Amino acid sequence: MEQVAFIVWRESVEALLVVGILYSWLRASPEGRRGLPWLWGGVGAGLLLAGALALVLLGISSWLSDQGQEWFQALMALAACGLVVQMVVWMRAHGRGLKRELESGASERVGDDHWWGLLALVMIAVAREGSETVVFLYGTVLSSQASGDVGAMALAGAGGFSAALLTFWLLQLGGRIITWRRFFKLTEILLLLLAGALLVSATDRLISLDVLPTLMDPVWDTSWLLGTESGLGKILADFAGYRAYPALSQLLIWLAYWCVVAWMLRRASRAAVPAASGRAKAPVAA
Amino acid sequence: MRAWIAFAALVWAGWLAPMSVAGAADMPVHTLTFKADGTFEPARLEVQAGRFKIVLVNESTEAVEFESLPLRKEKVLGPGVTSFVVLSLSRPGEYPFFDDFHPQVKGTLVVLPKP
Repeated sequence: MEQVAFIVWRESVEALLVVGILYSWLRASPEGRRGLPWLWGGVGAGLLLAGALALVLLGISSWLSDQGQEWFQALMALAACGLVVQMVVWMRAHGRGLKRELESGASERVGDDHWWGLLALVMIAVAREGSETVVFLYGTVLSSQASGDVGAMALAGAGGFSAALLTFWLLQLGGRIITWRRFFKLTEILLLLLAGALLVSATDRLISLDVLPTLMDPVWDTSWLLGTESGLGKILADFAGYRAYPALSQLLIWLAYWCVVAWMLRRASRAAVPAASGRAKAPVAA
Repeated sequence: MRAWIAFAALVWAGWLAPMSVAGAADMPVHTLTFKADGTFEPARLEVQAGRFKIVLVNESTEAVEFESLPLRKEKVLGPGVTSFVVLSLSRPGEYPFFDDFHPQVKGTLVVLPKP
């Protein structure tokens, strides 16, 4: 019973992390508020896609073959990784000067293109984890029909989702307790770690599809120190891309990812400097 | 708009890409069953190093997820669904796997050196 609640919570948290961070961020600026419909649109589209994927996983529909699923998952993870990085870089470049840009009318350039990216990101985040939750709950409810405790199982599922919403709410609260600047930094790091984990999971699938060579497999074996089956190792695997048996190509891609991200953020910060220095003359509430 | 074009390309690629991958001809096939009583059959699956296929059969009435990070596999199966994974392992040794929807259900893949 607790297990049902726990699994629903775990599957929902990744999506809620992305949605929650974007929501806090959008709500904080008048320009950002305009993006909220895109955010909720992404949630809706994600739920629809999750339903479609769940039908495949349940064997009811076969619009994707087995290998097709593998490719689809790999490409979804890659797309989500790219969109998260793009979002973080964009936030870094525009976040501070957004209000001023809006007032000077310069924000016209922050057009629909960006909001569509946001919608796609939310949709993928919701669909990835949502499809598994749907299948899991479907199976749980179906099997509990036999034993007659459907109500209890449904309650456990609802409990798990409520716990996930509570996590979302705590994150919102976190944005209020700590300073906005620190919240911004913290969520930036969380999002970049998550994007790295998505990239590593995509390389896992590409390796098993025989598209990506391993070069050397594995480079090391740290399963004795920190396994990825449960506990801290699993959390690090899901949210930071840790692997106990990494292939050399995965390791190189992961390192390259952080180099590229560091370089892009440096460039974005430099581009944001004129806006920041312009603002320095007038005191602005952070 | 660009994001939508990218997404459309993604769906299209997910559809067509498998066709370009050569079919899995004569490779050893093993079967792993998720039993209705919540165990793996067999719990220790022995295979020979190389490329092989494991057919996953979910005989239980619940959804299961075959998962193993060391094997780089994650596969969700609805109740009664049969699917498969193809693995390429050259390094002999023991690789743990488990059912992510029932984390206490564990198994081991034993890769034996090539004769």
